[in-house]
Amino acid sequence: MQARIAAIALLLVTVGACKSPPVRRHFMPEASASRGKAIIARVGCTACHAIPGIDWPKGRVGPNLENFADGTLIAGKVPNRPDMLAAYVRDAPALVPGSGMPAMPLTQEESRDVAAYLYTLGA
Amino acid sequence: MSRLISTLWAPDGLFAGWPPAVLDPAGPYAGSIAVLTWVLFAIALLVLAVVGTALWIALWGKQRTRQRLGGSRLIWIAGIAFPVVVLTLLLVYGLRLTSSLSAGTGPRTDLRIRVTGEMWWWRVAYLDAEGRVVSWDANELHIPVGRTVELELESADVIHSFWVPRLSGKTDMIPGRRNLIKIQADAPGVYAGQCAEYCGGPHALMGFVVIAQPPADFARFMRAASHPAAPPPSPGRQLFETAGCAACHRIAGTPANGMEGPDLTLLGRRRTLGAGILPNNHGTLMGWIGDSQAIKPGNRMPPFSMLSSAELDALATYLEQRK
Amino acid sequence: MTSETGFDPNLYDRFPTSGPRPENELEELERIWRPPSGWGRLGIINNNYIGIWYIGTAFLFFLLAGILALVMRVQLALPLQGVLSEHQYAEFFTMHGTVMMFLFAVPMMEALGVLLLPQMLAARDLPFPRLSAYAFWAYFAGGLSFFASIFVGLAPTGGWFMYPPLTSSVYSPGINADFWLLGIGFIEISAIAGAIEIIVGVLRTRAPGMTLDRMPIFAWGMLVFAGMVVIAFPAVILCTLLLELERALNWPFFDPTRGGDPLLWQHLFWFFGHPEVYIIFLPAAALVSSMIPALARTRLVGHNLVVIAFLATAFISFGVWAHHMFATGMPLLSIGFFSAASMAVSVPAGIQVFAWIATFAAGTPKFNVPTLFVLGGLVTFVIGGLTGVMVAMVPFDWQAHDTYFIVAHLHYVLIGGSVFPLFAAFYYWTPMTSARPLSERLGKWVFWLMFAGMQVAFMPMHLSGLMGMPRRVFTYLPGRELTATNLISTVGAYLLAAGVALFLFDLARSFRFRMEGNAGNVYGGGTLEWLPTGSYSSRSIPLVRGRQPLWQDPALADDVRDGRYFLPRSATGFRETIITSPLRAEPEYLEIMPGPSGWPFSAAIFTALFFMLMTVQAYGVALVCGAIAIGCVLRWLWDTDRPVAPEEVDAGGGIMLPTYVTGPRSHGWWAVVILLVVIGMIFLMTVFSLVYLFGIHPRFWAPVPPLGWLAPILIFNAGGAMLVLTARRLLCRGTTLWTPPTLMLLGTPMLALALALDFWSWRSAGFDPQLTAQAAVVHAFMAQQAMLCAVSLLMAFYIAARASRGMLTAPRSNSFDIATIFIVYTAAQGCAAALIVRALPTAM
Repeated sequence: MQARIAAIALLLVTVGACKSPPVRRHFMPEASASRGKAIIARVGCTACHAIPGIDWPKGRVGPNLENFADGTLIAGKVPNRPDMLAAYVRDAPALVPGSGMPAMPLTQEESRDVAAYLYTLGA
Repeated sequence: MSRLISTLWAPDGLFAGWPPAVLDPAGPYAGSIAVLTWVLFAIALLVLAVVGTALWIALWGKQRTRQRLGGSRLIWIAGIAFPVVVLTLLLVYGLRLTSSLSAGTGPRTDLRIRVTGEMWWWRVAYLDAEGRVVSWDANELHIPVGRTVELELESADVIHSFWVPRLSGKTDMIPGRRNLIKIQADAPGVYAGQCAEYCGGPHALMGFVVIAQPPADFARFMRAASHPAAPPPSPGRQLFETAGCAACHRIAGTPANGMEGPDLTLLGRRRTLGAGILPNNHGTLMGWIGDSQAIKPGNRMPPFSMLSSAELDALATYLEQRK
Repeated sequence: MTSETGFDPNLYDRFPTSGPRPENELEELERIWRPPSGWGRLGIINNNYIGIWYIGTAFLFFLLAGILALVMRVQLALPLQGVLSEHQYAEFFTMHGTVMMFLFAVPMMEALGVLLLPQMLAARDLPFPRLSAYAFWAYFAGGLSFFASIFVGLAPTGGWFMYPPLTSSVYSPGINADFWLLGIGFIEISAIAGAIEIIVGVLRTRAPGMTLDRMPIFAWGMLVFAGMVVIAFPAVILCTLLLELERALNWPFFDPTRGGDPLLWQHLFWFFGHPEVYIIFLPAAALVSSMIPALARTRLVGHNLVVIAFLATAFISFGVWAHHMFATGMPLLSIGFFSAASMAVSVPAGIQVFAWIATFAAGTPKFNVPTLFVLGGLVTFVIGGLTGVMVAMVPFDWQAHDTYFIVAHLHYVLIGGSVFPLFAAFYYWTPMTSARPLSERLGKWVFWLMFAGMQVAFMPMHLSGLMGMPRRVFTYLPGRELTATNLISTVGAYLLAAGVALFLFDLARSFRFRMEGNAGNVYGGGTLEWLPTGSYSSRSIPLVRGRQPLWQDPALADDVRDGRYFLPRSATGFRETIITSPLRAEPEYLEIMPGPSGWPFSAAIFTALFFMLMTVQAYGVALVCGAIAIGCVLRWLWDTDRPVAPEEVDAGGGIMLPTYVTGPRSHGWWAVVILLVVIGMIFLMTVFSLVYLFGIHPRFWAPVPPLGWLAPILIFNAGGAMLVLTARRLLCRGTTLWTPPTLMLLGTPMLALALALDFWSWRSAGFDPQLTAQAAVVHAFMAQQAMLCAVSLLMAFYIAARASRGMLTAPRSNSFDIATIFIVYTAAQGCAAALIVRALPTAM
């Protein structure tokens, strides 16, 4: 309990120091970025990608997803839009044949959550 | 700083760790130790209360009570007689429990599995009644629910220690020796294990899982595991046998017979990659093969960054079908 | 009243003497004992200076190792922090444990002994002041260079108990592990030297009348401590030697594929390692037992029980080592024995805890800073003791072993049992050596920060362990709920550190080293260290009539200062102290002590260089440095063992004491016998290794060379010993026909010849130490014998050199006696080794 109070105090003290959240260019009202983060950790996206907010692992096989939200294209082929991204993280080869990324074990809801988290990554 | 906050603000909160694994047993061997732990905690608190009270009186008590305490009688009663009685009782309890839990005692179980600690993973061999290896596996241990399983613990290099806190205490794996340990799970589930003896390098990332299954499922697993189907030719298989994988890894029914690294015959069944640390799916498999050093620095598998994504994809496809 | 030495106790009635003392006596004492200044400070050997430097250095290592811990706590505050790589983390935890155990705790206890014992016993100095100086400088130079390895990534990574095979050259190919062996080497030297110093000091330099029963409890603690060092350290000396032999020469002591066994290391290491915990705890407990009477203003309740508890702890602690090995699959019978012993060892601890409580109850405690630290230590230690009983229960240990539960347990025991008492001692005894005491006001902050920090840091670790967190992990994965407890632990560690930082601030502000004009007896202690002192210690050496002489005789301090007791002046014009009998402390003779000298310092520096250069594999230069170090030691010895002209002098009150004594009454004889006990223990531990390995892997054992070889080996050893003994007899008779040193020079090489024969017999039978553990152990025996032979030869040449300069006193000479004892022992061990290595495989 005391630790939780300490944590609240810490939060109050430091909240001003944190940077403001990125501009939401990619609006996804029904998805949850925090759920998405947990899903990313669970399925292991970071085995290939370095993803800010997930400390380990930081895979080097796939592209680094820092500032992902600022990009204009996904995999250099399709426009970086919420619907496209959600479809891409679930089944990349279907959307971009020849993509290096495999289909991942995600439901539609989960893929939207993952996309929502990826859109929090930006300057 | 934001990490700190997000960690504390996680939905499961600060005390998600309760009950701790040791006090949350899933079988008789860990169960009796959990009971012992509670007994010990109770006695420890009692003794602490006795000492605390004596100290309190000595410092702040009434003059008369203090004087009664201030002689060697206190030492004889509280410092000698009391601990001797308590410790003797505890010792009897502890030794009886020790011998009942020891693998050396009691009838031999009909199910034996040999687990060999390697730098920084676990080799698993399912044995038949004669002690011959029926099937190789790694980093994952299948056991039937409700049956005592005897494990032969060995080491291939340095000292490791086999520990599944919810199933039993730990036992060291020592080069040149074979230790026995009994485990049993009373409910189906996945139980996390971890190397407990410092073994250098990524020791912290040397985990494994025990999968307790209903007897019928376990029997199915053993049948499949002991008679794996030979894989048909595929681009992935060809790559596996030519790109260097086969030098260290074995897949039953193929020319790949390296025994340096984990056996991959059943890889598609495993819950985890990299010894209990990463979920096992097509994507993580590609990431692991491509550059496992980014995931588990210091492990013995070199990065295969020369492989194209298509090749990684083919390998992953081939491997995830191995079950 | 009976007597131990024939001394007439009625003579004691002469003290305190009356009448004024001549004026120039005090100036003379000051001149003789004045430490050199300028660069000459490096040659200072006075115990009060060496003691303070020693304490300061040990405290520096406490701070350094503490900083390592703070970095580790940041790494573990959250999952997957990237502050340290796994390799760096391994270096950090290995260095933290090693430095805390070997470079802080043990030396700190010895340092306190060096500083406090002569004062408490009212001796002018320890019996071998140059040895103390050498031990200190070797530790200082060696410890610092060992620590520096962490800045260049060469620090060891195997954990403080360095289990092979992880630390063998196969799995630890760099020289990191060798640095560990180097660091331990220094502490072995200074620990053994310190133990000899302390045993002889406590048993032979007590003030007259200070019978064992009247001896301060701290001296009891240090005596038991030193005895334990003598028994326990040989095991670690041997296992570091074996590991270095395995690493450097590929001798397979711990390699199961060639008949070795990794568990041999664990047995040897823990035979040392567990007593080590009590080696750290006992002196600290003795500090508490000596402070509490002053703090509570009453005698220690149960004094005799506490002394018995010391002895019982020491005894039992040698029967508990394998409780670190419950998870290695030991037989049930051994498990039962070690479990029982591990529980039994908590009884003496209970005796002490309740003796302290009873003393507080009997007295009138004041809540000053030393009292707070004593109480905080007591509570913390009791909690650690209770978790200790928990892990002595084998099934629970199977769960708790090698987890953070153990990390918590050991820190509770060591911080509660050792660090808090030390801080109490810092506050309590600082006024003895400083112009100003430490601040009571800041001290309370220091205590509460440290106490709260300790609990906050280590209490949650119990839970981390039960949740499944093994020790020595550089990180943990998220999602195992370990974050909360770890984060709290980190906060606690920094609280604790804040307390230590505040202490440092106070130390810098208040501590001003003074031999004279110090703040004095702030807490009203009743023992002799509170007598007024100068660099010569107390002006005269008091007659002791009770356990708290200053309380019993309020005039004592003045009488001592006015020279109304023993040795109010320098009787011979040299540094000197009274040697008394071991039980009743009856004055026996006057030890003439060596003066300041730079040779111990140079010897220490070159010893350090020798080990350093060996570690970085610059063998040629290393050997040169080793030779110079030996030269320095011999040069420092050259000044010693010089009888002075008056054979008897007035030691005060008209009591005449001899100035030169040989044989079992002399302090040098005691020292060499203790040294031989150490060497004998190393030998016994090697025998244990032989028997153990034979029991584990008998199939690797080959038949020994023909037993006929034994005859010449035994004959040469016996013949050499006979020649040396004859030489000594001739010296006693004053014979000059065969000068005794010549006989010694003839006899000693015969031992080397016997060893060469032994070596040849194994070689010709095809024994190669790289092939089997049997051959390796046999060669380890011979390596030890080679070292003994080398020292014997050195001694023989030294004696010859002294004789040629006419410096060998006849008919009796301590130098000659000591060389004789050592050489005869060498011959005996040579015979024993040759017999045992052959008898064992033959008999079975």
